[in-house]
Amino acid sequence: MSAKKRGRGVAAAWYGIARTATIDRAGAWAELDDGGTAKILTGVTEIGEGILTVLAQVAAEELGVRPEDVTIGDNDTARSPEAAHAGATRQTYMIANAVALACRDARTRLDAEMADHWGVDAECIRAHGGEIWAEGHNMRLSMDEAVHICKARGVVPVGSGSFTADHTGLDPEDGSGRPWQAYVYGAQVAEVEVDTATGEVQVLGIWAAHDVGRAVNPAGVEGQIEGGIVQALGQALMEDYKLADGYTSTQGFAKYILPTSLDVPQVTSTIIEDPDPLSPLGCKGIGEPAMVPTVPAVMNAIYDAIGVRITSLPATPEKVLAALQDKRRRDGEAAPGMAAE
Amino acid sequence: MASLDMHATVNGREVRKPAGSHMRLLDYLRDELNLTGTKEGCGAGECGSCSVFVDGVLMKSCLMPVAKAKGAVIETVEGLAARGELSVLQKAFHKTGASQCGYCIPGMVMAATAALRSNAYADREEIKERLGGNICRCTGYQKIFDAVELARDVGNGTLTARALEAVDEERQADSFIGSNVRRIDAPSKVSGALKYAGDMVVPGMLHMQVLRSPVPHARIVELDVSEAEAMPGVEGVITCRDVPGTDGFGVFTHDQPIMARDRVRYVGEAIAAVAAEDLLTAKRALARIKLRLEELPAVFDPEAALAPGAPVLHEGAPDNVVMRIPIRKGDVDKALAEADLVVEESYATQAIEHAYLEPEAGLAYLEADGTLTIQSPSQNITHHRHMLSKILSLPINKVRMIMSPVGGGFGGKEDMIYQGMLGLMVLKTRQPVRYIYTREESILSTAKRHPTRTRCRMGLTRDGRILATEMKLLADGGAYAMSTEGVMRKAAILAAGPYAIPNVRIDTLGVYTNNTPSGAFRSFGALQSEFVTESHLDICAEKLGLDPIEIRRINAMRDGAVTHTKQTLGSVSLLKVLEAVEKSSGWEPGPPGVRGPERADLGGPGARRPCTLGARFRKPGADDKQEVA
Repeated sequence: MSAKKRGRGVAAAWYGIARTATIDRAGAWAELDDGGTAKILTGVTEIGEGILTVLAQVAAEELGVRPEDVTIGDNDTARSPEAAHAGATRQTYMIANAVALACRDARTRLDAEMADHWGVDAECIRAHGGEIWAEGHNMRLSMDEAVHICKARGVVPVGSGSFTADHTGLDPEDGSGRPWQAYVYGAQVAEVEVDTATGEVQVLGIWAAHDVGRAVNPAGVEGQIEGGIVQALGQALMEDYKLADGYTSTQGFAKYILPTSLDVPQVTSTIIEDPDPLSPLGCKGIGEPAMVPTVPAVMNAIYDAIGVRITSLPATPEKVLAALQDKRRRDGEAAPGMAAE
Repeated sequence: MASLDMHATVNGREVRKPAGSHMRLLDYLRDELNLTGTKEGCGAGECGSCSVFVDGVLMKSCLMPVAKAKGAVIETVEGLAARGELSVLQKAFHKTGASQCGYCIPGMVMAATAALRSNAYADREEIKERLGGNICRCTGYQKIFDAVELARDVGNGTLTARALEAVDEERQADSFIGSNVRRIDAPSKVSGALKYAGDMVVPGMLHMQVLRSPVPHARIVELDVSEAEAMPGVEGVITCRDVPGTDGFGVFTHDQPIMARDRVRYVGEAIAAVAAEDLLTAKRALARIKLRLEELPAVFDPEAALAPGAPVLHEGAPDNVVMRIPIRKGDVDKALAEADLVVEESYATQAIEHAYLEPEAGLAYLEADGTLTIQSPSQNITHHRHMLSKILSLPINKVRMIMSPVGGGFGGKEDMIYQGMLGLMVLKTRQPVRYIYTREESILSTAKRHPTRTRCRMGLTRDGRILATEMKLLADGGAYAMSTEGVMRKAAILAAGPYAIPNVRIDTLGVYTNNTPSGAFRSFGALQSEFVTESHLDICAEKLGLDPIEIRRINAMRDGAVTHTKQTLGSVSLLKVLEAVEKSSGWEPGPPGVRGPERADLGGPGARRPCTLGARFRKPGADDKQEVA
């Protein structure tokens, strides 16, 4: 009989988008620039999640240029409008919406000039991928030419946007309140193999499904899901910042063990798009929610494999072995020669 | 310090430039040759961020004394392709989205280059093994493996170079929203060109080092910096006495001075800082600071911290409570009494470290108009500017915070930590100052994920409906409040899960102890509290003979549901995500109960092979091509 046992577990999760139980806001400035390019200024810098690409996509879409035409200014309190902080799964929700509003404002200026120039209604102006045209009329120019015309008429096509998430605080007695306006949901299935001789747990597969609202960049969403799962795997199985009387014994990466390429499961992601009705773009977020279901899904899978419930993280080999020995002792007393479960 | 006559061939060019005899190859490349694509992540050979080729062999340059590389042929990430171009592998990293924060990526690119040089036909399992010495904290590695496989196939001719280009859909999309536009920051990350705070230099820049508490709780009896200050090469020493404004920072409660004031409350707390013309002098000066401490009774267990008579950490919190968040709905006691099944269990989660590959770093300087500028990978420059204006007593528009590219944050760079010391040192010395943490310093002194203990009671009907959930979660907030209040709030709101439960009683409680502070960490309390509910639901499902997906479906919040905080929701997608994983995983229904041995849904296409160390290396040989084909 093999010492290696497999099992599966599932867990679900929910999460709130942007700042909790307090109003949230973000601002942005946009300009359609010479050459049909665009400048976006907002208080944001990449923390790795891909926000610069997301904002370039949103700005390109809203302004009618291409993502590579968009320049995004640095997050600098002296040079760009406040977009507050890079956390709380708020970057796409708060800042992309602020950028969309700023771009729409800039387009209103440009479209008014072009409508006047062409003698058409501003409502019929469309733009995409560096071209601008009047729907239903035989008028079409490059964005480069349109910006030139707009400026020759004395108007710089600039815009600003501010996006608000209308959250309320919690009642101090019963906690009632509206902490977020957008929620996301996720579920994950984990498949594990447990070596009953060593106690080692390997996570072989994770199937994840997450509602992110409208996905701006599906590959980026997948990247967030895969990365979140592996961080959660560290919490589930190996990472442990150890302290004794205030002193750590895990002071470097030789002692503080992190997941490497050999530890990670294959991840199969499904993106569910349930758009947010309260914001211009309909997108929500994925950064934090991605890692919430992983830990319980893995613990539930370990139970399925070997009948041991780990309630104290992480499920290290030592802990799994000790729990197995306990179980054997208990089972031996309860029903000799066979598993009680 | 002794100088060493150093020469080598670096990226194809002869280099002759003296080196400090104490330098590692990493220091020489970064500080003397400005090749900052090679990153320092741990300084101990564990993370691989500093990988380079030395005479064709992949080496961790943080472990190699520079003298050992004398006369060697060295290749760094900057030398993998002609200037301004990317190698096939770098293009593949761009194409598959293999970089996120990007800090580990130059090292990862070097290791992957080594893997494909060793075996142009390496399969995915061998690639994994060959990348085993490189840590990435963002990506989950999957897209890195995809990139290496793509580069392998282009390199060995299985695919054409066209496979590395942008997909047609990206170019012809009707909408750029929803299309997989390649990351615009990727070329600068795969090539090592992007400058993180620790890569930045300005002329005349001083180097800062920090004296930290060696004990968990003590009164500062004497702190005399005069001898350190007098050392040649030292330009400034600061302590809390130099703070011109109202000292104190934190997210909700401003209980933390930028350097210890009269007392230290945890091991690693900053006490004083030195800036000197070079790093070595700054380190030596720390040893000349006279520090006398009188140890105080300390408390390390959150329950003990709540007991009467426990040592008190902060005068403003005589009971050591940082924050208590209650959620109340319905009548939990009545519902538990009426339930067919009541399950009670305790759970615990541990502290974990963010372990972003980029250790904390910052560069600060004064501008001509007197503006203090601080560049650092801060996740919240807006709030940090507010606090620094008060602490440093500067008008708010004279504090300029620039968020440098963040080499991984995960919440760990959201709480302000060192920016106050950097700013104060610039004000004192009137010179630019840079500070880079070592990995050990980062682990020792910065915030962790809140460790928690939770008691959970759930009452259900025979058919699986949850009537009531009661949860009490106790979290160790460590020595300072930081984000504890917010973490307790999010933990409480989300604790009972996305389920329609008529009766809910949740209490989360964060307390002060003399442990390393706990702070913001991706998933911010919800990871801890939802772990409890989701484990508990499986225990209940087994007792009721219900499939775990089914028990979640029975209780799922649906469109228009009222949450535990009595908020009415719009559309709720929980049933959709449950159905999606049920389908994608080919889930075989049945109650949880050690079904592992007999279930038929195991080992399918979404599961990798189990790993046995060393088993994946294959001899490159004639039959490789056949295997690939």
